[in-house]
Amino acid sequence: MAMVQPRNLKYRVWYARIALWLFLALILFPFLMIISVSFRSGNFATGSLIPENPSLEHWYLAFGIPWENPDGSVTEPFFPVLLWLWNSIKVAFFSSILVLMLSTTGAYAFARLRFKFREHMLTAMMILQMFPAVLALVAIYTLFDKIGDYIPWLGINSLGSVTIAYIGGIALHIWLIKGYFETIDNSLEEAAAIDGATPWQAFRYVLLPLSVPILAVVFILAFIASIGEYPVASILLHSMDKLTLAVGSQQYLNPQNYLWGDFAAAAILSGLPITIIFLACQRWIVGGLTSGGVKG
Amino acid sequence: MAEVKLNGISKSYDQGKTWIIKDVNLEIHNGEFVAFIGPSGCGKSTLLRMICGLEDITTGEMHIDGELINDHPPHERQVGMVFQSYALYPHMTVAENMAFGLKLARADKSIIKQRVDEAARMLQLEPLLERKPKAMSGGQRQRVAIGRSIVQEPRVFLFDEPLSNLDVALRVQMRQELSQLHRRLKTTSIYVTHDQVEAMTLANRIVVLSPLQPGAKTNLEQVGGPLELYHHPANLFVAGFIGSPKMNFLNAELQQPGEEWSTIKLTSGETLKVAANTSSSACGSQVIIGIRPEHVLLLPDKKQDQTEKDNTVIATVSTLERLGSESFIYLDHDSVREYLIVRVTGSGLQNENDKLGIHLPPKQCHLFSAEGLAFSRTHKPELNTCQS
Repeated sequence: MAMVQPRNLKYRVWYARIALWLFLALILFPFLMIISVSFRSGNFATGSLIPENPSLEHWYLAFGIPWENPDGSVTEPFFPVLLWLWNSIKVAFFSSILVLMLSTTGAYAFARLRFKFREHMLTAMMILQMFPAVLALVAIYTLFDKIGDYIPWLGINSLGSVTIAYIGGIALHIWLIKGYFETIDNSLEEAAAIDGATPWQAFRYVLLPLSVPILAVVFILAFIASIGEYPVASILLHSMDKLTLAVGSQQYLNPQNYLWGDFAAAAILSGLPITIIFLACQRWIVGGLTSGGVKG
Repeated sequence: MAEVKLNGISKSYDQGKTWIIKDVNLEIHNGEFVAFIGPSGCGKSTLLRMICGLEDITTGEMHIDGELINDHPPHERQVGMVFQSYALYPHMTVAENMAFGLKLARADKSIIKQRVDEAARMLQLEPLLERKPKAMSGGQRQRVAIGRSIVQEPRVFLFDEPLSNLDVALRVQMRQELSQLHRRLKTTSIYVTHDQVEAMTLANRIVVLSPLQPGAKTNLEQVGGPLELYHHPANLFVAGFIGSPKMNFLNAELQQPGEEWSTIKLTSGETLKVAANTSSSACGSQVIIGIRPEHVLLLPDKKQDQTEKDNTVIATVSTLERLGSESFIYLDHDSVREYLIVRVTGSGLQNENDKLGIHLPPKQCHLFSAEGLAFSRTHKPELNTCQS
């Protein structure tokens, strides 16, 4: 850039860098601390950032391998952490897929079709979404309790119920995708219609392929939200083998004995699927997909 | 190949409170190239979208090949459309763009390939078949859009201002290509444009539409061949719309109606003779005389005694536009609506505020009633009237 710059630019750049580093440290510190706690022998929340007695004790237990203490005694893993992780992944994956399917079709309706109360419904969805899900816990519990009488795999203490319950929060996603759809010129679908496409085919072969970036974003957001979700899962799931990692890792925090080390290892593990999903979806998050189609 | 028939077509977006298009009756013959032309807001694009099924028809009947298509969705109408914005599928290559419709129709792969190759050859797109739209220029993109409709072998081609996004040189070239294409394929075509040059050069017949005036019965103003519209406009709107710069209009009153020659008196007092049949009108009724800028003659010198000559008016030069090969002289005159424009070849050596004598040849004048309807002209228009 050939813009004329003031003379003191060099100093200002350095100030900015220092400020950014400080900010970064602020963000990264808690994360580094969790890693540190997970590698610390014993269950201590406090201590230096680089563990003085590093040990893999908590990681062995998290992966379900018995840990032999230095004094010769053996600690058996308390909880099926990997099973919880697998539960979390299943719930998050299927609920995200369902969220994606419902929110794209919903967004298509709001973006392209004209019907009565369209604006009102959009606003209503937004407002309803503002109430935290916690407020509906009682309702969610009784609903799934009742459903469970008829469809057991959707009842209380089933992963199916959690998956279905997570679909509730799609209003935001509908808004997000609708906004993206509206940036895609309508004439593309009109051209498809004249080419002989039914509305569904125009949606499937023209609109969706162009919307892949926003679909990837919504999938990741939905996935992150359900991996980390606690309140709903905690009331719907009871037995040890059905818990998700977010609920299960609370088991380490007994009032009389906080197992910080094991908790930290489980917490890091729960970040793992999110990282993998993000890396997998990243290649679809690209710009310029729609360029060249229409002259604005 | 098909004929398209519009029977009392009307369009309203609010259940008949206001109309966009009203009572359009039109018959487009097999293989004809018809242009819809009109100022913006006249509903010409809407009318086209009603033909291809992107807008529904409020009242009236539309037939293609005798088949009532009012309630057919676009994909059942077998029409091809070229959009102003090209509307190519950005995620597909040129070949895929063109093959899309055939693929949806589950056509045989060999047929798809054959038709795409043929269209590509016709439009010189062969080297570009594997490219995506964003790697192409505007002209190439528009060609792909045309190719996309060709491979479908539609009954009717619809063009919605296809050239208005291109630069001038490309527009001229594409105009030629479209014209050749139509000569080769002979498919019925409907072409919407606001550019009268495109309409005049491409179309067999031109349909002039106007923005619907309150109380008007229809906004279809006139249908006719390009020269017919130029020489015999049916009303004031068409007379003012076709031709550039637009026709000059002067207010007058009918002094002596006649079957072959009519004598009129301008509001400023001059008496003029016009070759128009006004036998149906009463003496003294209000009329409007129209003459095209290229038909007004400048009198060779500025001597005042020229006023004695027939059909002569003295006017003051207000502005000059010199374009080099020709010039437009804007004149002020009391009876004139807006300006009186004279087109002269050459560089226009007149000055502002000069007084000029101009001659309005009686056979070149148009005459309109106060309601804006043309009186029929009784003499064939003369050619070659430009002077320096």
